[in-house]
Amino acid sequence: MEKLKNPDDLKKYRKSLESKHRPDIVRIFICTTGCRALGADEVCKAFKSEIEKQSLKDKVEIVDTGCQGLCARAPVLTIEPMGIFYGRVTETDVPEIISRTILKGEIIERLCYAEAGKKTPYIRDIPFYGKQKKIVLRNCGMVDPKSINEYILRDGYAAISKALSGMTPDDVVNEIKNSGLRGRGGAGFPTGNKWEFVKKAVGDVKYLVCNGDEGDPGAFMDRAVLEGDPHSVIEGMLVGAYAIGSKKGIVYVRAEYPIAVEHLNIAIQQAKSLGLLGENILGTSFSFDLEIKMGAGAFVCGEETALIASIEGKRGMPRPRPPFPATSGLWGKPTNINNVETFANVPIIILKGSEFYKAIGTDTSKGTKIFALAGNVKNTGLVEVPMGTTLREIVFDIGGGIPGRKKFKAAQMGGPSGGCVPAQHLDLPIDYETVKEVGAIMGSGGLIVMDDSTSMVDIARYFMEFCQEESCGKCVPCRIGTKRMLDILTRITKGQGKKEDIDLLKELAEVTKSASLCGLGQTAANPVLSTIRYYLSEYEELINKKDTQSLPQESPATQP
Amino acid sequence: MKTIHLVIEDKPIIAPEGINIFQASLDNGIYIPGLCYHPKLSQFGGCRLCMVEVTERRTGHRFACAHPVSEGMIVKVNTPKVIRYRKSVMEYLLVHHELSCPICDKAGECSLQDITHELNQSPSRFKAVRMDYPMVRDNPVLELNRNRCILCGRCVSTCKEIEGIAAIDFQNRGIKTVIGTAFDRPLECSFCGGCVAVCPTGAWQDRTLGFKGRSWEFSKVPTICPYCSVGCTIILNTKMESVRRVTSDDYLGINEGNLCIKGRFGHEFIHSPERIKTPLIRKNGELYPTSWDEAIEYVAKRFQQIKNEHGGTAIGGIGSEKCTNEDNYLFQKFCRSVLGTDNIDNMANIKSPALNGLIYESVIHGMTSASLKEIEHANTLFFIGADMTEAHPVAGSMARKAIRLNNANLIIANVRGVQFNSIARNDIRLKYALGSQIILINALIKVIIDEKLVDLEKVETSTNNFDKLRSLIDKFDREEASKITGVTQDAIRNAALLLTKPGNCYIICGKDIEENPLAEDAIRALMNLCALLNPAYRGDAGSGKVSLFFSRSHNNSQGVNDVGVVPGFLPGYVNINDASNKEKIEKSWGVKFPDTILKKDAENVIDLALNSKLKALYIMGENLVVNYPNGKKIKEACKKIDFIVVQDTFLTETAQLADVVLPAATFAEKEGTFTNMGMTVQRINKAVKPVGDAKPDWQIICSLAQKMGHSCSYVSPKEILTEIETISPMYAGINYDRLKRKEFHWASSVSNKNKSTRYTFSMVKPRSSEIRKNKDFPFVLLTGASLNHQGTFSRHSKSLMSVAPECFVEINKKDAQVLQINNGDRVAIESDQNKLTLKAKVTSKLPERVVFVSEDYEWVPVNILRDRVHTSVKIYKETV
Ligand SMILES: Cc1cc2nc3c(=O)[nH]c(=O)nc-3n(C[C@H](O)[C@H](O)[C@H](O)COP(=O)(O)O)c2cc1C
Ligand code: SF4
Ligand code: SF4
Ligand code: SF4
Ligand code: FES
Repeated sequence: MEKLKNPDDLKKYRKSLESKHRPDIVRIFICTTGCRALGADEVCKAFKSEIEKQSLKDKVEIVDTGCQGLCARAPVLTIEPMGIFYGRVTETDVPEIISRTILKGEIIERLCYAEAGKKTPYIRDIPFYGKQKKIVLRNCGMVDPKSINEYILRDGYAAISKALSGMTPDDVVNEIKNSGLRGRGGAGFPTGNKWEFVKKAVGDVKYLVCNGDEGDPGAFMDRAVLEGDPHSVIEGMLVGAYAIGSKKGIVYVRAEYPIAVEHLNIAIQQAKSLGLLGENILGTSFSFDLEIKMGAGAFVCGEETALIASIEGKRGMPRPRPPFPATSGLWGKPTNINNVETFANVPIIILKGSEFYKAIGTDTSKGTKIFALAGNVKNTGLVEVPMGTTLREIVFDIGGGIPGRKKFKAAQMGGPSGGCVPAQHLDLPIDYETVKEVGAIMGSGGLIVMDDSTSMVDIARYFMEFCQEESCGKCVPCRIGTKRMLDILTRITKGQGKKEDIDLLKELAEVTKSASLCGLGQTAANPVLSTIRYYLSEYEELINKKDTQSLPQESPATQP
Repeated sequence: MKTIHLVIEDKPIIAPEGINIFQASLDNGIYIPGLCYHPKLSQFGGCRLCMVEVTERRTGHRFACAHPVSEGMIVKVNTPKVIRYRKSVMEYLLVHHELSCPICDKAGECSLQDITHELNQSPSRFKAVRMDYPMVRDNPVLELNRNRCILCGRCVSTCKEIEGIAAIDFQNRGIKTVIGTAFDRPLECSFCGGCVAVCPTGAWQDRTLGFKGRSWEFSKVPTICPYCSVGCTIILNTKMESVRRVTSDDYLGINEGNLCIKGRFGHEFIHSPERIKTPLIRKNGELYPTSWDEAIEYVAKRFQQIKNEHGGTAIGGIGSEKCTNEDNYLFQKFCRSVLGTDNIDNMANIKSPALNGLIYESVIHGMTSASLKEIEHANTLFFIGADMTEAHPVAGSMARKAIRLNNANLIIANVRGVQFNSIARNDIRLKYALGSQIILINALIKVIIDEKLVDLEKVETSTNNFDKLRSLIDKFDREEASKITGVTQDAIRNAALLLTKPGNCYIICGKDIEENPLAEDAIRALMNLCALLNPAYRGDAGSGKVSLFFSRSHNNSQGVNDVGVVPGFLPGYVNINDASNKEKIEKSWGVKFPDTILKKDAENVIDLALNSKLKALYIMGENLVVNYPNGKKIKEACKKIDFIVVQDTFLTETAQLADVVLPAATFAEKEGTFTNMGMTVQRINKAVKPVGDAKPDWQIICSLAQKMGHSCSYVSPKEILTEIETISPMYAGINYDRLKRKEFHWASSVSNKNKSTRYTFSMVKPRSSEIRKNKDFPFVLLTGASLNHQGTFSRHSKSLMSVAPECFVEINKKDAQVLQINNGDRVAIESDQNKLTLKAKVTSKLPERVVFVSEDYEWVPVNILRDRVHTSVKIYKETV
C-alpha cells in the first residue's frame, strides 16, 4: 500500500473504497471473537465452504466481526441488508441459512431472538439493541476488525486528519475538555484535564499509554473494543499523542486476550503501511509510533503505576504518588495513561464536535458507557447506553429481566472495587456521582445482576477473595487486612460468625481503605461495606444461625 | 538548592526541596516509625507505618516517606487517629509473624520489636496461623527465614539498586507473597550481605554469626576493611575478645553501609587456628616456636653481622600493602636508618614501577583530585582496564548510585567483557583488542580534537605542547585505530561524546593498564585525555570536575608507597638522591645515611638477590613467593639469600622459607591508618587483643631497632603519624585524633597547593603492546582480581572458602569447543615456565585465544606460569 501523504489523500482513498463498495451484496456478519469459544469459527468456515460450493461468491460475503453484544445467544450473526439477527447458530444450520434465508428470504424461527415466546427476527425490533446508543461500539460487530479499509469507509481516521489539518494541540485539548469526557478506566478523571497536565509537563520524551489490562472479573468492554474495532483505539491514541506531544505509544493488553493482540497487531501494521502511524503522519511533522506490550496477568497491573513498572520489566507493583505519571511515569518521563474505552470515544468527539458529545449524558457525566452485563439476567452481553440510563432500563429492557421466576435483588457495579445497588435504587439514572452515592462505583463497567437467591455475604466474600489473591503484597493493610476480612467472611458463611465480627469488619475496612497504597486496597472493602449497608440482616442471620453449611458459592461472574 | 520551611511536631524546620517528610524528620532528629523507608534506597511506601497528619491547603493523612515537603506544611506525627492506624498495621503484621525473638539473632536491634514495644501494642484480636515457611539456607553465608519477613522490600531494592544484581524479588501475590528467588532456585548473587544489613527484622541472617552472641552483648568497633583498596568502614562486633561478626554503618566512612562479601563475611581469619601465635625460628631445617626475646635477639644479631660484613645494602626489605601507614613508615625508617639500606620495595611498586610517579604528577596537575566517595556524584564514568565488580565492588556500588540518581553515563573499556550491571541509559562497552589500549585512548583524543568537542582555543592557551599533540594526532587514522582495537568508529565516537558532556567526569584506570609493560605510555595518554576534559574547556565551563583514579589492589597499597617503602623515595615521594631532602630527613631522624645508600643500584631488590648481592631479606606482611609476578625467578632469588625474616599473620608460602618468623597482629588487633586508592587516609581501631603472642608490626620493628642499639620508643601509631605529618608535606594537616571523626584526603590538599601548575601534553606514540605469538603456546594468559578472595586473609576465612572453594581458568566458548573443553573439566595451562591444572569455566566474556585466571586465589600460584605480563600458554584437557 502506498502511504497517504496528506489529508486529501485520505479523502481520495476513502472515495476509491466507496466506489468499490457494492451495496447490492448480502453480507453475513459473524462474531468470531467473543463467540469463538462457542464455535463461531466453525460456523464461519461452514459458510465459506457453502458459498464456494454453491458459487455464491458474487452474491454473499462473510464478514468476521468483533462482538455484537448479545453474547447470551452466542454464536451470533447478522444478515444485512435485511437486518436479520440469528443466535446459537451451529455449523449444521449453515446450509439451511443459505438456502432459506439468503436465497429465499425466509426466516428460520428457531434461530431468532425470543422473548416470552415471541420471536423477533429483525435486529431493529430487539429491545436489547433498541435502547442502546452506540458511540464507542459504533463499528464493533459491523466491520471486519482486520481490515483498515472497512474502518476508513466508516469515517475512520477522519478525526486525526481533521486534528492535523486544522487544530492546534491546544484546540484538541480544549475540545476534549469541553466534551466532558471522563476516564472510563474506573476513576472517571476528566480526560481533557489529564491531557493538559501531560502537555504542560516538561520532558523531551513523553509517553502515551493505553490501559487494556481489564482485570475486573466479568468485564470485557475493552476486550470487545480492541478485538472488534482496534483502529478506533489507535485513532484515539493518535489524537491524544498529537495533543500532548508524544511520539511513542504503548498499548498494554492483558495477556489473556490473544485475539485483541492479534487484531491490534494487524491494525498497527496496516496503519503503518498507510502512513497513519510512524514518521510524518499524513505528511505532517507529527510522528507517532505504537507498540504492544502484553500484560503480566495480574489485576493490579491495571493500576497505572504498576502498569508502568510492568512495562519497564519490573514486577507489577504500584508505587506511591507523587510523582504522578503525568510528571514522571514510564522510564521517568511524563506519561499519559488512558483506558481503551476512553480512547475509543475520542475520534467521535473530534469528528462530530464536543457539543454533539456533550448533549449525550447527564450534567456531570457525558457520553455513553459500556457495561458488561452478567449474572442472573437473560441477555448477558455488552451494552452501551447513554449516561443517565436507569438500572431498570439496563436490567429489564435491555437485559430482558431475570430468568426463571426469581426476583431482582441487586446489581453489583464496579467489580471488586464496587458495591451492590439494591432494588430500591433501580430507577436511579446511572452516572459517576449517583452510583457512588448509593455505595457502588461506575468502575470500568462490570454489572452483575443478582436474583433473590443470591447470598450477599457470599458475594462480599467472593470479591474479598479476589482482592486478597490479587493484592500485590506490597502494603500491609491490603495484604493482611483483606486476608483478615476474608477469614471473617469465610467464617460467617460457614456459620461460625461471631457478634463482634460486623464491627471488626467495619474497622478493618476503614483501616484498609485509609492506609492502603493503591486503589486496589483502598477500595477492596467496598463490597463488604455496601453489603453490610444494605443487607446487614443477612449477615446477622448467618451469625445467629450457627453452623449452617452455606459453602462459598462459585464465581457469580461469567465471562462469555 | 531551594529550601522549604515547614513545621514537624511543632519544630520549625528548613529542608531542601524535593526530600520527603520522613527524611526531613530524620535529618532533624524527629522520630517517625517506619519499617520500609531507607535513605539510601528508592522510596517504597509499603509498611504504611509512617502515616502522619499533614496540613497543606487541607488537613489529611499522608505517608511521610512518600510525601514531599512543601512550603508552610505542618506535620503531626502522633495524633490519636494516626496512632490508631499505626497500631492496626502493627497488629496485622504480628498476626502471622513467627515471634521467635528468644532465638532470633536480630532480637535487640529489630525494628519490629522496637515499634511493637514503643506503641505499647496490645494482644491481637485475630487468631491466625503463624507462617510456616521452611528456612532457606542454600549458601554458606546468608539465610532467609520468611516467617519473620514483613515484606518491606528493602532487601529487594538493595540487591537491585546497590548491587545491581536483582537476585531476589517479591514472589506470588496476596497473603502468599514472599521474598525469594525466581522459582525458588538457590541464591545466586555476589553475597554482599546488603540484604542482611537493611533487613529491619530477623528474616535475613548472617550465618557467620549463628548464635555466637546476642546483639546487646557486642562491643561495636568501627574500623577499615582489610581487603581491597576501596577502604570501606566495617563494624567489628566483638564479645569476649573475639570478633563474632561484621556489620556496617550507613553513616560512617565512605561506603554508606555497603560492603562486599569479603568485608562482611571475610572476618573469620582473625581467629583462625592457623594464625602464627609465637615467633618461630629455624633449627636444623625446621621452624620451631620460640620466645620473642630469643627471636628478636637472633634477628638483630644476624642483621648486625651482615651489615658489618657486607654493608647495610646487602639487606633488603619488602614492605606490606596490608599493613598500616605507621607500620610501613617505621619499616622503611628502620631499613634506611638502622640497617642503612635503600634496597626496599613493595609489591605494588614492583608490579607497576612507573605508577607512583605518574600518580603524583596527576595529583599535582589536579587531575587526580576527587575522593572515591565523589564517584556517586559522577555524571560520566569511564572505567578503562578496570573490573570494578571483581576488584572494587563497593566503588562499583557508588557508580551505580551515580547512575541511579544522576543518570550518569557509563563507558567501560576492557579486553574482557567484564560484568557491571547498571541501569545507565547511556552504557557503552568498548571491548578492545589485547594490547591496544593506547590506540583506543588516542582514538578518543582524536575524536575530541577533530570534532572540537571541547574548546580547543582555551586548551591551546592554557597548556603546553598542544600543537605538538595535535600534529601527532593528525597523523593518526581513525579507521586504522578502529581496526586495531576492534572497536567500531561509532562506538569510539559515542564514547567521546559522552566524555565531553558537562558535569563530573570520573575515569578509573585499572590494573590491566597499570601492570602492563606500556603502563607509562597508556597512563600518560589518559592524562592527556583528562587534560582535554578539564571542565574549563567543556560545555559547562567550569562547573564540573574531571578526576582520574588509579586502581590499587590492597587496603593499603597506596599508603605503603606514600610513606616511602619505595627505593629512592622517602615518605611523600621525596627523592632521596636530592641532597637537601636527604639532609632534612637525616636531621629529623637523627641519623646519617651511609653513602652507599645513595649509589643506588639500578637493580631492584629481587634482581640484587638473584645476582647474589643480597644476604638478608626482611619481609613484612607480604607473601612474596606467590605474589611476585615471576614465580620461577622469585624462588631462585630466595634460595640465594642467606637469611630471611618474615613478619606475618599466617605461615604463608614465603614464611615457610624464612629463618625467623615473627607473628604479627591483624588489622583487628591494632591501631593505625590505611590510605585507599582515592588517597583517603582512614583510621583503623583495635577491637580485640592479638591472638597468642602476636604483636602489631610497628611494635616488632621498634623492638628490633632497640635491640640494634637505636632509640625507637614510639608508644602508639598516633605518635608515628604525627612524625609522618612533620616530615612529609603531603600529610600536613592530617591529625590522628581528628581522623577518628573525619577521613583525610591528601590528594586534594596537595593539588590545592599546586593549583597554578600548567599541564604539558606528553607525546605518546600510539602503539600496541607486543603480544608474543608462539605456535606452541597459542593462548595468552590474563590475570586479574576476584570478588571472593584476596591475599592471605580470605583463604583462612571459612565462609569465603565455602562460597568460592575453587579457582577456575576461564576459556572462550569457541576455543573451548575446539578443544572439547566443558565447564568443570580439568584443564592444564602450560607455559614455557611451568604448568598448572585448574577447572574450566567456559565464558563468552573473553576474546578468543585468551584465558583468564584470577591471581587472588593465593593457594593457586599463577605466577609459576608467568615470566611477563602477557604470558603465552597452551591449554589442554587433562586426562586422568
Ligand atoms: C487495582 C486497579 C486496577 C485497575 N485496572 C484497570 C484496568 O484494567 N484498566 C483500566 O483502564 N484502568 C484500570 N485502573 C485504573 C487506572 O489506574 C487508571 O486510572 C486508568 O487507566 C486511567 O485511564 P482513564 O483516565 O482513561 O480512566 C485500575 C486501577 C486500580 C487501582
Ligand atoms: S493496596 Fe494492595 S495492591 Fe495496592 S500496593 Fe498495596 S498491597 Fe499492592
Ligand atoms: S527479608 Fe527483611 S528486608 Fe527483605 S522484605 Fe523481608 S523484612 Fe524486608
Ligand atoms: S574488599 Fe573492598 S569493597 Fe569489599 S568491603 Fe572491603 S574495602 Fe569494601
Ligand atoms: S516507612 Fe513509609 S510506608 Fe514504610
